[in-house]
Amino acid sequence: MPIHEKSLIRPENITTHDELVIEGVDVSGHWSTFIESRVISDYNEAMEEEIAALPGGENIHRCWQCGSCTNSCTVHAIEPRFNPRYWIYLIRTGMESELLRDKDLIWKCVSCNKCTYACPRDVVPEGVMKATAHWLEMKGHVPESPSMTFDKIFTEQIVEHGKIEDTKVLMQFLKRTNQPLLQDWLKQIVWNIGMRTPVKWGLKSAWNFVFHPRTRGWKKAGAAIQDYIIEVEQHHKSALGVDKSTAANSNAQQHNLHAAE
Amino acid sequence: MSKPILIVGGGPAGLAAAHAVASIGHRSVLVEKAEIFGGAPIQSGYAKLVPSGLWAKDAIGGMVRRVENNSQIDRKLNTVVKTFDGTPGNFVAELSDGTRVEAGSAILTTGFTHFDSVNKPEWGFGLFPDVVTTTQVEQMISSGKGVRCPSDNRKPKRVAILLCVGSRDRQIGREWCSKICCTVSANMAMEIREELPETHVYIYYMDIRTFGLYETDYYWKSQEEFKVKYIKARIAEVTSDGKQLIVKGEDTLVKRPITIPFDLVVHAIGMDPNVDNMTLSAVFGVDLHKQGFIARKDTYGVMGATSRDGVFVAGAAIGPETIDDSIAQANAAALNAIAAATGNNLQAAE
Ligand SMILES: Cc1cc2nc3c(=O)[nH]c(=O)nc-3n(C[C@H](O)[C@H](O)[C@H](O)COP(=O)(O)OP(=O)(O)OC[C@H]3O[C@@H](n4cnc5c(N)ncnc54)[C@H](O)[C@@H]3O)c2cc1C
Ligand code: SF4
Ligand code: SF4
Ligand code: SF4
Repeated sequence: MPIHEKSLIRPENITTHDELVIEGVDVSGHWSTFIESRVISDYNEAMEEEIAALPGGENIHRCWQCGSCTNSCTVHAIEPRFNPRYWIYLIRTGMESELLRDKDLIWKCVSCNKCTYACPRDVVPEGVMKATAHWLEMKGHVPESPSMTFDKIFTEQIVEHGKIEDTKVLMQFLKRTNQPLLQDWLKQIVWNIGMRTPVKWGLKSAWNFVFHPRTRGWKKAGAAIQDYIIEVEQHHKSALGVDKSTAANSNAQQHNLHAAE
Repeated sequence: MSKPILIVGGGPAGLAAAHAVASIGHRSVLVEKAEIFGGAPIQSGYAKLVPSGLWAKDAIGGMVRRVENNSQIDRKLNTVVKTFDGTPGNFVAELSDGTRVEAGSAILTTGFTHFDSVNKPEWGFGLFPDVVTTTQVEQMISSGKGVRCPSDNRKPKRVAILLCVGSRDRQIGREWCSKICCTVSANMAMEIREELPETHVYIYYMDIRTFGLYETDYYWKSQEEFKVKYIKARIAEVTSDGKQLIVKGEDTLVKRPITIPFDLVVHAIGMDPNVDNMTLSAVFGVDLHKQGFIARKDTYGVMGATSRDGVFVAGAAIGPETIDDSIAQANAAALNAIAAATGNNLQAAE
């Protein structure tokens, strides 16, 4: 097939051989330039079903590709490669490798929901972006995102104590995301809050920080919530065909890859 | 006493016209070429109809029985009209069975002919047994056998429905949209998913024309409740790798070529002008539309008028039409045909 649009040829799809002889003819160097086929040779129906199984992805199958989400998108306005309409299509037809090219963009959705209000079919593209980011993490295609780490710390504290201790959430978050505790902006905030807080409240906060008391009668509720979280997580994992070990493995692989880069 | 109305073609339109004429006490002669009444939905064994959801054999079968039980209607099967002469109020027709019919006026409800997919050889019909038409799938469903691959009777895991086969295609001289095939295909996709929930159904389209209220009941419903997938691509070629069918084309949304394996490929065939239209035009002295359907003289004034006074037309004979609109047109034509037969003056609105 002749090439009408050179822009469609990606550098990584061009291969040449420094030394190559075919049937006695020397085709070394640019004489052996090959362009990898762009042909889509199958659909993968599982991908849409997997995303649809995660919270926010439920309505992905409604999309008719009108582009209203992308047109209205806050992030698209400053980063044209951020294209929810396109990603939804890739997921629906199962073009996984194509989606993975944008894996470092998808999580950048700012959840402004402008797309949600523009979408004529109630796909809730914001939810689909969330589900897709979640899917990328669960499949081990990307390392755990900072927001996921934050959510986990938040949830852990709720389950354990029935309430959160802001300072502890922040400290653990910084620790788990390998950030220094003393950052200028943080010092500034703490200082400002400290200066404006009445002494009585300050003491109360300090007490809470040290002892982190549990909400009265929380033990049972916390256990029930924990059970529910495990159940839902298990449901999501089996929908994606990832049990703990494979996810951990691919996560590890991912980290190795990053280390190698 | 004025003479009967001659109605040619016993499909939904002809059956509706005969009933309408009889319902105001007027006689008619219903001439049908085939050996049964009912037109395309009965002769081709359609399954559940759009938009009623009724089985064709019940819905259109009911129209046939209503006509068969009416003594005002003189019915003739396996018959065509050989000659037709005279003026409004005083026509004389000669039928192929030798009878002579005196008629006050005539209504042509001679319908359409299904597009023959052999005329698009690149899409594999006639070459591969698992390439079928919408009428064949209608029959698989209406016969109760279910949707199967004809080659080995297996349940298809993946089905492609190709829209606009024999429509909107200048290459084969068919520029019209057949109007109902988008909706029929969406309906069929839902029927397939209902029978075979594990089967994935893809519809390849250029535009989706599920007009009016069909939008949500067919297009949206097929996506939202039945997870039918729509891919914007006009297929270039259907081939086979010896095991499965291979559908080739361009996925226009990602600007990439596709070669996707399928078990069953369904052509959403269009509605051609009736192959008899040249003959009908000569016998009845009516003009044809440039696309080969029977031309209407007037859009707003006298419903169903043709270029010949006293000869009316209704249904898919005019162009691609739905059953319910064919019936509406037949009722309008019946009113005007009676007026012409009884000598009442028909005036156009222009
Ligand atoms: C696959 C498919 C599915 C469809 N499904 C639906 C649906 O679900 N709902 C819907 O509304 N529409 C549907 N349609 C459209 C529907 O078939 C037409 O609207 C309907 O058949 C038109 O009725 P008619 O009486 O005008 O013509 P026809 O049904 O074509 O009837 C014409 C009759 O005239 C007879 N005849 C032809 N020539 C002569 C002659 N020279 N002399 C005497 N008799 C003659 C024929 O034998 C036939 O009985 C479908 C069409 C297709 C192709
Ligand atoms: S919610 Fe996300 S995808 Fe939607 S408009 Fe905002 S940034 Fe874009
Ligand atoms: S606005 Fe909705 S229907 Fe349109 S492309 Fe985006 S998700 Fe799909
Ligand atoms: S109704 Fe749809 S399938 Fe039929 S000719 Fe028109 S656009 Fe094509």
